[in-house]
Amino acid sequence: MKITFAAALFATVAFVVPVAAEDTVKLIDVIELSGAGATAGTNWKNGVDLAVAEINAKGGILGKKIDIAHYDTQTNPGNTRAAVQRAIDEGTYVVLGPVFSGPIGASMQIAQKAGVPQFVGGEAASLTKQGNPYLFRSSLNQADAMPKLANWFRDDLKAKSVAIIWVNNDFGKGGRDAMIPELQKRGIAVAADIATESGQADFAADAIKVKGSNADAVFVYLNEEESARFLRAAKQQGIDKPLVGETTLLGAKVIELAGEAANGVKGHVGLSVDAPIPGFKTFSDAFQAKYNYKSDHNGIKGYTSVWAIKTATEKNGSFDREALMKTMHGLRISPKDVPGILIETKWNDVGDVDRESFLAEVKDGRQVITKVLPMINP
Amino acid sequence: MIRRLDPDLAVIVIAAPLLWFIPAGFKSYGLYVVSLWLVMAIAAMGLNLTLGYAGLKSLAQAAFVGIGAYATAILTKNHGVAWPVAFLVSGALSFGVGVVLGFPALRVKFHYLAFVTLAFAMFVFLVARNEEWLTGGVYGFSNIPRPVIFGLDLSRALPFYRFVLVVTVVLSLAMWWLLRSPWGRAFQALRENWMRAASLGVDIRTYTLLAFAIGSAWGGFAGALYAPLVEFIDPAPFAISASFVMLLTVVVGGSGFFLGPFVGAFLSFVLPELLRVTGGWDPLVFDPGVPGPLGFSPTGILGLVERARELVAQRRAAAMRAAARPMLEGSEAR
Repeated sequence: MKITFAAALFATVAFVVPVAAEDTVKLIDVIELSGAGATAGTNWKNGVDLAVAEINAKGGILGKKIDIAHYDTQTNPGNTRAAVQRAIDEGTYVVLGPVFSGPIGASMQIAQKAGVPQFVGGEAASLTKQGNPYLFRSSLNQADAMPKLANWFRDDLKAKSVAIIWVNNDFGKGGRDAMIPELQKRGIAVAADIATESGQADFAADAIKVKGSNADAVFVYLNEEESARFLRAAKQQGIDKPLVGETTLLGAKVIELAGEAANGVKGHVGLSVDAPIPGFKTFSDAFQAKYNYKSDHNGIKGYTSVWAIKTATEKNGSFDREALMKTMHGLRISPKDVPGILIETKWNDVGDVDRESFLAEVKDGRQVITKVLPMINP
Repeated sequence: MIRRLDPDLAVIVIAAPLLWFIPAGFKSYGLYVVSLWLVMAIAAMGLNLTLGYAGLKSLAQAAFVGIGAYATAILTKNHGVAWPVAFLVSGALSFGVGVVLGFPALRVKFHYLAFVTLAFAMFVFLVARNEEWLTGGVYGFSNIPRPVIFGLDLSRALPFYRFVLVVTVVLSLAMWWLLRSPWGRAFQALRENWMRAASLGVDIRTYTLLAFAIGSAWGGFAGALYAPLVEFIDPAPFAISASFVMLLTVVVGGSGFFLGPFVGAFLSFVLPELLRVTGGWDPLVFDPGVPGPLGFSPTGILGLVERARELVAQRRAAAMRAAARPMLEGSEAR
């Protein structure tokens, strides 16, 4: 009995949360700081913190300082839902995050129902198909990236067959489902279709299957740590066909974890600190100085999201959530006007972003951009 | 002589109205967490029957929650079935699967049984993830409707919480009755010494299957509440790791204690939310703080409480003996 009562009392104290002071604007970041998404989430969090520090140093948004808080989702959909609910109860102006598509799918209805805009780092195609006007991406939709990559398989690599290795969660499956029809449309055969587990440690068997398929090229669509493990296994098995990825495979964290094995990897990247865009260099230097390591694309996503919120809010002249949602649709921000946006970015009417993107290759442990691809609808 | 009110029943009777009124001031988040606590306590209650009372080690309770959650999601969202029907179907389905899974339990014991249930949990997870036509695969089910019962719309957080509370109380009372019935005695006899139980005429096969099936049905009932609570399900919350958390919940709370699942579910599902104030240091508090005490109290938190109570009782008895001794000695001298 006593336990129940003490628990109830404790819960009452903990759940009845104070309201934010008037001279700040509350932003809550619901993000993967542990679990399978910790690498991506920590980069995102640091990017957000960097943007908040810069914006606050320049007087905040409409004269109000940003009061930022980060809630860990443990990369778990149920926990994410609770955290988004909590963020909304605490009066967040916008929900930032999460990055992984599953937890986004579990929580986006909560923000939509409450009429709170949500800026996410997810790339799964399904997210913006659900007609949620409050959801905004910070990176390219995987369905937009795949045709670019399929062209490249056909025109540059002259591949007649491709082996696909993907992670069996909604990010990986979404990418695979988007990629296969694009390849088939271009007359490229799928030589092997290999599903792997999230958090999988040993990729030797998968690397042998890939090698046995004798494909002209390999498309690798895994999360960060798994990508690095696969690259190491591929090197051990002596796979000499081009290993091609989309953004994640060429990310800074994957290169760091895979070491030597990352050299020679090619692919398409939506965002990269190594891209020949001046804004990225400035961001990368500031990030490196503050956190003492190199940001990956998730750091850029978090950073630019905060700047986009600031820009749209100041355009509206108020902290009206519905107005922010409306302004974001069709908004185009140029780094000439807002340096913090880093690269010319446009949001369409369903919340997808459009940007220039890049073809890249890993050489000597560094990502080198080989070509700049134009926006889809410039 | 008036029979004393059973302490477990007394706690239910006193706690129910408190839990009805106290969270009224909570915001949606607080109500969500308290609702989750009750839902997981129901699932843990089922495992407590299987593990704590009948002594069968199962690592598949989260899989049964998953069976219930998917059944409810499919029935209410895709087929427009009323929630109470889906609730009963979820429980019945889990009960049926529990009977089937119980058969190996007749052949294997102890940790071998745990392996069998582990394989089953993996199987359920794989079906949920790979059979996309049925379960939505990795994309899961979103926008699972909250029920309308007797014209009451439960879509808002507080009415839904109170509804969960009512279901929890009903299922707790049913479990309480079951445990005090001859069936409950038979389950405990099974745990303590199955050979002696058999020699006393307890049908080992029937009771083993029943313990499994009823425990599983409670998992299915919890799943039927979980789906509309979260309004989204995908395979992740029903994976093997979740079954381990259920096991931890029962053991930490005190397996074989009626209220153990409530204490355990509080520690497993509410405490991590409360520990958010530590700003990312919560594993440092949770990991040594929650499973740690099992090192010196294998019977969990309630086992600790019981030991303390026994200690007090023994001290009191010793004091009474000491006080009585001069009299006894005096009487001897005479």
